[in-house]
Amino acid sequence: MLKAVNRVLLGLIGLGLFALGGGVLLGGLDLPRRWDFDVPGWWPFRGPDDVVLGAEGRTRWQEEAWWWPTVIAALAVLLALLLWWLLAQLRRHRLGEVLIGSEDDTAARLNGRALEGAIEEEAQALDGVSRAYVRLTGRRAAAAARVRLQLKPHAEPAQTLGQLSRETLAHARDSAGLDRLPSEVRLREVRHRARRVA
Amino acid sequence: MNAGTGRQPSAGGPRGTGATGAVHESGRSARRFWSARRIPSTIVALLSVAAIGLLLYDVVSVQADRSAMRWRRRLAEELATRPLDDIWMIVGAAVAMALGLWLFLLAVTPGLRRLLPMRQPTGIHRTGEVRAGLDRCAAALLLRDRAMRVSGVQSVQVDVGRRKVNVHAHAHFRELNEVRADLDATLGEAVTTLGLARQPTLVVLVRRPKKR
Repeated sequence: MLKAVNRVLLGLIGLGLFALGGGVLLGGLDLPRRWDFDVPGWWPFRGPDDVVLGAEGRTRWQEEAWWWPTVIAALAVLLALLLWWLLAQLRRHRLGEVLIGSEDDTAARLNGRALEGAIEEEAQALDGVSRAYVRLTGRRAAAAARVRLQLKPHAEPAQTLGQLSRETLAHARDSAGLDRLPSEVRLREVRHRARRVA
Repeated sequence: MNAGTGRQPSAGGPRGTGATGAVHESGRSARRFWSARRIPSTIVALLSVAAIGLLLYDVVSVQADRSAMRWRRRLAEELATRPLDDIWMIVGAAVAMALGLWLFLLAVTPGLRRLLPMRQPTGIHRTGEVRAGLDRCAAALLLRDRAMRVSGVQSVQVDVGRRKVNVHAHAHFRELNEVRADLDATLGEAVTTLGLARQPTLVVLVRRPKKR
């Protein structure tokens, strides 16, 4: 969700900046005349002697009664949206509790930290894992896990990953009574010196 | 040239992998990880909030019969008087264009080049349940540790690229060809234990260490 929003907004802002800079550059270097092509009638930058925002453009609607309230409202809405965007970056999403659907309608709640800790502990007991960090994300009714594994030297990542998904994650999913637990796993290793083996 | 190149067979995973290994090889599991682009978004959002906030404050204060801040009058004046072929306008426009292009590229490229997508583990009850990525430095360290076990290898440097693994080894005894054959075999096997979705090409280069 945040990923898509970030990428769409970055792309739109990027395209906007690119178009603005390109337009000014086109006029400033007088490219339409030199390369012999026409710009449409509404094009704001005409020729090297034009300016970006002339007095006429700036004051065109200033006398209208609706102008300043509209500007203020638009800026306020924009500011609110941008603030929301900014705060969304700073907030780390972490699931506090997980809803467990049981047969009757009473849904049980499971502490998210407890489940995270249980998975971490079990993952650290796996062969080739020195540290594990688990974070639950997603929604309460549809939890997902983000797992970071710190591998030991001489670990075999494919085997470790297989064990993690077949045993640790499957175990966590079953014991918490979850239908599914989509997981994203990232494996790294601590930097260490090479050792000669005799 | 001492280069031995060999593309590893794509099937044949680690122990425990059945015939399904090849099925998961293609398609979904090989997708790259996409970064959330938090840092550029934070920077852009912060700058925009500051700029829009300042502008809004000034517009409102002008409406309340106070005079506009100096920067706004100056900015309006500059924008209204500097012709487009002024050097500052050209430089500014070029910078805006480059910045815009960069932001756009950030938006459409996946990022997270450090993370190599791993093959879907077998034996889980639904595919797509687990997505895994291996850090490129970790892959290099694992391969280096394996290469150091080959006899004759004095030092080795492993660069794991996204498609290619370059191994530069110095061998201080044994025939270079033998060492290279051993390295090829050992690392070829080690690469499959990494469980990557896309088997990288292995390039091994063996040399004598420089005389001191």
